[in-house]
Amino acid sequence: MKPFKILLIILVTTISILLISPYLGLNSTISPEIQHHILTQLRIPRILFAFIAGAGLAVCGMVFQAMFRNPLATPFTLGVASGASLGAALYVFLGFSFSLMSLDGSTFAAFLGALIAISFVYSISRLRNGFSPETLLLTGVAISFFFSSLILFTQYMSNVSDSFQILRWLMGNLTTVGYRDVLQLLPFVSICIGVILWLGRELNLLMAGDEIALSRGLAVQKTRYLLFFVTSLCVGAIVALCGPIGFVGMMVPHICRLLIGSDHHWLTPATLLFGGGFLIICDTIARLIIAPAEIPVGVITTLLGGPFFLWLLIRSRNKSF
Amino acid sequence: MNGMLNVHQLNVEVMNKTLISDISFQLHQGDYLCILGPNGAGKSTLLKALMGIVKTASGEISFNQHTLSQLSQKQRAQQISYVPQAHGHQLNFNVADFIKMGRFPYRSAFSEWTLADQQAMDQAIDITHITDFLDRQMQTLSGGESQRVMIAAALCQQTPLLLLDEPTSFLDPHHQVEVHQLIRQLNEHHNISIIEVSHDLNHAAHHSKHILALKNGKTLWHGKSAELLNASHLHDLYDQQFVFTPHPQTGAMVALPCELTHDDL
Repeated sequence: MKPFKILLIILVTTISILLISPYLGLNSTISPEIQHHILTQLRIPRILFAFIAGAGLAVCGMVFQAMFRNPLATPFTLGVASGASLGAALYVFLGFSFSLMSLDGSTFAAFLGALIAISFVYSISRLRNGFSPETLLLTGVAISFFFSSLILFTQYMSNVSDSFQILRWLMGNLTTVGYRDVLQLLPFVSICIGVILWLGRELNLLMAGDEIALSRGLAVQKTRYLLFFVTSLCVGAIVALCGPIGFVGMMVPHICRLLIGSDHHWLTPATLLFGGGFLIICDTIARLIIAPAEIPVGVITTLLGGPFFLWLLIRSRNKSF
Repeated sequence: MNGMLNVHQLNVEVMNKTLISDISFQLHQGDYLCILGPNGAGKSTLLKALMGIVKTASGEISFNQHTLSQLSQKQRAQQISYVPQAHGHQLNFNVADFIKMGRFPYRSAFSEWTLADQQAMDQAIDITHITDFLDRQMQTLSGGESQRVMIAAALCQQTPLLLLDEPTSFLDPHHQVEVHQLIRQLNEHHNISIIEVSHDLNHAAHHSKHILALKNGKTLWHGKSAELLNASHLHDLYDQQFVFTPHPQTGAMVALPCELTHDDL
């Protein structure tokens, strides 16, 4: 099938998900005014929030997979999300409170954490003959563990209410307080996705490896730094606001690659839409499965993602990306 | 300093290890230079330094009066193209898409695919005879097909200089001849200057114009190809004895490696 048709199908599906999901789980016994309020003030912002976060996570995952030429390389497996989490947890723990241009300080703390983590992973993997996938993933795992224990430490040292706040947020959470959160997230994710859409050709070249990318005239190092910067910004903002929602960035781009191929001119928009739609579905399940209570969306994505990770690990052995 | 490419006292270090020390040579427009040398002599490193894939520690490379280090990577890719050692089958691309990427140095973020781009691509496909497998995936190509696609992608860059790293090393004899004929055709009919890293002495002696022999990162010998097949040159280069005999069909002198004796082992 032509990529255009596949993208169209993904677009139509995503729009249907966007339109249908707000009405799922609406209690018809309550009064229409309250229903209307729930729909416009809670449901719709939450679904928009899920869409933006899902799209951002999926596209960042896609970029990491392309840059490191490995389907297992994502901001989560490489410790970038843990870095962001630690940044945000420290922000809560140290009791900071500042905002810049109406953006919450935790976003910046998470961004810094993400940037530190990626610089770390990148410099370590460069110390030893380039990016061997094993070195890269092991470095990421080590960094994740290291940061996770620091988060646990932070949490242990916090008072009960901060500790619960950190824990609840670590599980991944899309509960919003109206449109404010949506507007907090939107600029970061849009800037990141904008840059990535603009760098389609560059991403294709990075997939071919450094030697070929350089010999076609791509300034590989500069492009990589730019991509690290915008993905850290995006992952930082998402982690600060929604917590580390795992595995979206690994599953979605990989599935999209199987569906539409590796050309980023098609892959980026497909991943964006699929990621947004996918997180809405996960969030809807999280909302409905033990309604009226709800479970953190991160639990759902991780439950789906764990087996998927194993499947990829077995499948991609001895098979180049 | 009147060649197209001037390499002056080039040094390359990777992780504190000197891979290339003090290499200088010139290449004129239309030349065909073969780089020979034992494994680990720095042949591939030299090509990568010219392409900007590895950084140079000191020395200067100039190309048509431009100092290469002052050009952007895109500008460099408009002057020099590179075919790496065979790994085309590891690339997950459609053949046509891969060749298209050869136009990268001429395109900006929002530029459309122009007529000039299409003509360059058509010409590259035409020269390398790969029309039949444009729709295939790179991974499904045979070694010979894959090498032709890699060359086509480099030709798309329309550069006056083409670098090839062991283009025939993993090919069967028929495909070796095919790829070598293609390279000679590029050199003779399309006026593309060639630098090829090779282990094929007889090919280098008879088909290239000049030889640069490297050993331990240094220039051992630099001269006309016709002078290559000489027992002491080759022994110095490879620590290996060769005998020479005329080719039964063409009469051209060919080198054959001798059996190792106890003294060698």
